Formats: sequence, structure tokens, C-alpha cells
Amino acid sequence: MSKYGMVIDLDRCNGCNACVIACKVEHNTANGIHFTKILEREVGTYPNANRQFVPVLCNHCEDAPCVEVCPTKASYSREKDGIVLVDWDKCIGCGACVLACPYDQRFQVKDESTGFLGSLVDFIKADTKRAPSGVIAKCDFCYHRVDEGRAPACVETCPTDARMFGLVDEALRTETDKEFPALDRVVSRNNAFSLLPDKNTRPNVYYIG
Amino acid sequence: MEARTKPASKLSLRVLDLAGPTYYGLLVIFATVAGIGLLAAWDMEHNGHWVTGMDNQIVWGIPHVFAIFLILGASGALNVASMSSVFGRSAYKPLAPFSALLAIAMLVGGLAVLVLDLGRPDRLLVAMTSYNFKSIFAWNIFLYTGLLVVAGVYIWTMLEHRMNRFAGAAGLVAFAWRLALTTGTGLIFGFLIAREAYDSAVLAPLFIALSFAIGLAVFILVLTALDASGVVPLGSDMTRRLGRLLGIFAATVLYFTTVQHLTGLYAAEHAAVERFILRDGGAITAIFWVGQVLVGGLLPLALMFLGEGAASRSRVGLAAGFVVIGAMALLYVAIIGGQAFPLSIFPGMEVSSSFFDGEIATYSPSLREGLLGLGGISIAATIVLIGSRVLRFLPKTLADRP
Repeated sequence: MSKYGMVIDLDRCNGCNACVIACKVEHNTANGIHFTKILEREVGTYPNANRQFVPVLCNHCEDAPCVEVCPTKASYSREKDGIVLVDWDKCIGCGACVLACPYDQRFQVKDESTGFLGSLVDFIKADTKRAPSGVIAKCDFCYHRVDEGRAPACVETCPTDARMFGLVDEALRTETDKEFPALDRVVSRNNAFSLLPDKNTRPNVYYIG
Repeated sequence: MEARTKPASKLSLRVLDLAGPTYYGLLVIFATVAGIGLLAAWDMEHNGHWVTGMDNQIVWGIPHVFAIFLILGASGALNVASMSSVFGRSAYKPLAPFSALLAIAMLVGGLAVLVLDLGRPDRLLVAMTSYNFKSIFAWNIFLYTGLLVVAGVYIWTMLEHRMNRFAGAAGLVAFAWRLALTTGTGLIFGFLIAREAYDSAVLAPLFIALSFAIGLAVFILVLTALDASGVVPLGSDMTRRLGRLLGIFAATVLYFTTVQHLTGLYAAEHAAVERFILRDGGAITAIFWVGQVLVGGLLPLALMFLGEGAASRSRVGLAAGFVVIGAMALLYVAIIGGQAFPLSIFPGMEVSSSFFDGEIATYSPSLREGLLGLGGISIAATIVLIGSRVLRFLPKTLADRP
């Protein structure tokens, strides 16, 4: 059962992309891979049209199609908290999960180099395990930070506090979750929505605003 | 050289009696192309898949088109044998052993391309020892390797006269297995609910029909080549039978294609991708209408059922070639076109990003991918060449009975 989730306040996100870079630094992701992205969408019609920035990331679904489709069980849901991860030692790089994900949040590592700006600058975080070439990589909710009671890098970096990471239910709180808010009330009081509910994936990323 | 036949055998079979220079020349050509394909795969593995035209939008590219073509062709080629063992059509009995050899060869070639195109082909052992039985991919691993065993046993029952009495049962198992395999291959796409172009149960019967068409088309082309080289005479009666069957299979593919797109047009959530494939997709649309429908469907039908001389060897051979082209076009549109269309994360809204989200993905296949695909075909050809030289798979003659 999923323990953690994220609520993203669309009224607060200003599209600065700091979370994208923070994630890239935290995970030392390969060229062309961004575990979180900022989409733009038009809402309303003239003269009341507006542009809205929508951060997207892996939704760590309760019924993840990527987990179901993986032939080797490399893609799996962590038993203790439901965070969807990829075992890079089992992944054969078939790409089935990339096509199965309705949110377009899985990426095949085609180039191990992580150089940025034409390899003039390397974003290197020495203690983060890098995805090897050929396997599938994705947002992992910074589980290495969550296990230590720290919020994911994108949440910590966001200058407008547009992202909230916490427990999907207060009843699931344990000792290590002292710093995490409970999101159930935020979701219910703010008429939160999730992406593509008709796909029945039961995502754990919600949007308000 | 006189063909060697086994006395008192129900099947009069022969080995491939090609003159030495021709045989070894072909072997060198096929082995060389296969070797180049392997080199291309090594290059992709060594440098990373960024050297190909595939990216995170087009995850499965030209190698997958070739691989699925060969796998479906393998399933369909085995069907020729089933027509005698399962459906009792004795006219096809002499073709049965060779059809099983062709099936094994094409399956090996297709699987080679599939495995070598993986991001981590060195992890094949993981794929063969760690299974997620909720995944259609895991089931397909069993279905593909199982068909190799089933076809091998089937060949044994046909060639070993003491096992001939089991050929019917083996043929039935082979027929059922290949139906399951082809259904599984179609459902790889049918179960992908995330993609608007897939997510359809009709893909399973479409792939079954396509396998019939590809398998028979390849079979006809090989028989035509054997007849042209004087190895196995091909009579007009057999030509007419095969040609008409090919026409029926081509019509069936057209039928399921029509059903697929009509149902897609009726569903609001699929309307956008249908517009892309049928009208607004540029190269994808052209390949669909010209390659898949016209060349792969209507032209073979016209050749087989219209006008004088519909059963002539040249028309049947031409129709088979068109069916092969049409099948490749179908698979290209399905695999590449289906991935090129962006995911609709916010239905009814325009979405964009600096990462090209919301845009139709472009795909330029690299030479490496094409060479890998051709390598798979060459692996299949090499197996057929060596197998039919070593063992009696070929019918002695398919000429008309006097």
C-alpha cells in the first residue's frame, strides 16, 4: 500500500524549473533525462486566457502499469511504502514500461554521460548511484532522502513551496516521518485532482489550484 | 545430381541440391550480412542507444519492426504445415517439414534482433530466470522459446517414420501454440492502455491474420526461388492454391485493419490518433494508405482474383512480394506511428514544454538499426540454407500430377 504522496499547488508554481535542475543534480541523471518536467498548458479563453505551469513526475501509482508490464520484476513497488522503483540489476532495457506509463515518466538511459552545457560542466553528486546505460530510470521520490526523514530534492528546492511531500494518510505515520505532513486533508479540502483517473492507475501525485 | 529419397516413406523429400559455388556463395552472403548486423548491435550496445534514431518517445524502432515481422512470419509459416496435419488438406503435406524449418529459422532471426535491441542484452539470463507472470512479455518468452521446441518435435514426427503416427497430434499442438504466440504478440500492444493507438483487443486477431499473410508470402517467395533455380518444380495447381490462400489472408488483414480504425474513430479518446494515422500524419499516413492498404492489401487482391492469369507464377510471386511490403508498412505504422503520437496527459488541453511534450515525435532510423534488422533476416536465411542442405526438408516436387 502506498504511504507517501505529493501535492502540487498549480497556483504557486511559476515555472522556474529549479526542481528540474535539483532533481538532475540529486540523481546525476544522464543527458536528456529529467525525472521531473514542467509542462505548460493554456487554460481559459481570451480575454481570460492564462498559462499554467504543471510539474509532472512519476505518480508512484498504487496500480502501476509499469510494474505490471515488466517481464523481469525489475520495476517494482517497494513493500514498506509503495514507492515505485527500478532494480537496475534486473532491468533488461526492453522499454515495455516506458510505453506502458500513461504519464510519460520513464526514461531509457541511452548515454551514460551526464555532462551539461556540452560537457563543460558535470553535475556530480558522488554519493548517488547513477543509472547504468541501457536500463530504465525514473523518479524514485528520492527514497534515499525519505528513508532519512528528508523531503525529496524537488520539494526542498522549490522557492514557492508549490510541492508538498508527505503521508497519504496520517494513520501511516512512523518515527522516521516526523517531518512529513499528512496530505489527506490537503487533498480533500482543496478539491485535488490526479492525472488520467480513467486509467485506474490510482496515482499518488495530486494537483490543487 | 539425383535427389535422395527414402523408400516407402509417405513423404518424398529431398535435400537442397544447389551447385557448390551457388550454395557457398549464398552462405557467404547471408553470413556476412548477419555478421554486419551483429556488429551494428555491438556498436549500439557499446556506445549506447543514443547512436540510434530511437529516443524516449520512439522507444521501439526499426529493429522491432523487423523482429515482429520475423516472429509473425514464423508463426504463419508453420501454418502451412498445419493445413495438412490439422485441416487434412493433403496437397500441403509435402510442404509441412519445410514450413516448420522456415518457422524455426524466422523465429530465431526475429528473437536475435529482439534480444540484441534490448538496452541490456547481456541480461538475457535475467529475463529467462526472473518472471513476472502478470506481464504479457514474460508469457511471450515462454511462447517464443516453446514454439522452437514444439516445431522441433513436429519436425521429428514428420521426418522419423516411426513417429509419423504422432504428426497429427504434434501438428495440432503446433497450431494451438502458434495461435497463442501470435495472440500474445498482438496483446503486447493491445494491453498498452497508455497509448491511444494501441489499447485494443482487435490487435490480437489482426496480428493472427497478419501472421498468416506474412508466413505464406515468405513461403511463396522461397518456393518461387527454389522453382526458378530448378531445385523444386512448382506446378500451376499448387501455385493457384497458394495464391488464392494468400489473397484470402490479405483480405482478412484488410478487414481487421478496417475494424481497428473504424472502432478507433468511434471512440472519442482515440479520434485524435486516428486522424493522425489516417489523415494528418505525413509520412505515417502515406505509409498507411500506400504501403499498407494499397500495396499490401488491394494490389495482392487484384492480382489474385481479377483478370486472366490470376494463378500464374509471376502474379503469385508479385502478390507475395507486395504482401511482405504491406506487412512491413503495417508494422511500421503501428509501432512507430503509435509511439510518435504524444500522450494525452491533459485531455482536451494543449500542452507544451521545453522537452517537446505534446508534439508529434519524429523518427529517423539510423543505418545501425536497419543493418540489425537485415541481420535477423540473414540469420533466418542461413538457418534455412544449412538446414535444408543437411536434412531432407524440401519436397521432391510440387509439379502438377499428370
